Amino acid sequence: MDSGEIKIETKGFKGKSCIEESQFLKDLLGEEKARNLVPAYYTRNKTAIRKYLPLCG
Amino acid sequence: MSHISKIELEIRDLQSLKDACKKLGFQFMEGQKHYQWYGKWVGNQPLPDGINEKDLGKCDHTIHVPAAVFEIGIVRRGNAHILLWDSWVGGGLQKHIGKDAGTLKQAYAIESVKRESRRKGYRITEKKMKKGVRLSLSF
Repeated sequence: MDSGEIKIETKGFKGKSCIEESQFLKDLLGEEKARNLVPAYYTRNKTAIRKYLPLCG
Repeated sequence: MSHISKIELEIRDLQSLKDACKKLGFQFMEGQKHYQWYGKWVGNQPLPDGINEKDLGKCDHTIHVPAAVFEIGIVRRGNAHILLWDSWVGGGLQKHIGKDAGTLKQAYAIESVKRESRRKGYRITEKKMKKGVRLSLSF
């Protein structure tokens, strides 16, 4: 808690729309210092599962 | 494809800060122009960027933490606000607001995200984790 870390998860987006849809959060909270593109989707038993995205550190 | 962003938090919305204070049990003293601190700069820590010794103790609004002696000053800077406070342990603030005011900043960010997300029509859930808080947004 003292670190102030917050994790925000977006659901229902595909591909690059994740960046576009999450932009309002970055604009709201402050300045984006770093961005890492990661594969957020992986398949387990032929089922696509979305992982949460920690947007604020 | 998705991404991870590192954000440097800026306090841009006073209403969200007020909501965060309420959630934490703090009092937002709107218009109070001075905050309680030691009263004298001893030079043991660097001053925030753009802040001089003569600026200390002055603010646009104040946050009062009931269990603490010292207070937090809110100073407008451009489109955002900065928090000023005396971190001396005797002032009693750190154990309530966290190191570097992490607890207060986290509460502010949560309220800010909740407010804006609802305005945009998202449904939002909040879950406390071992480290931090997870906010989940969905349509």
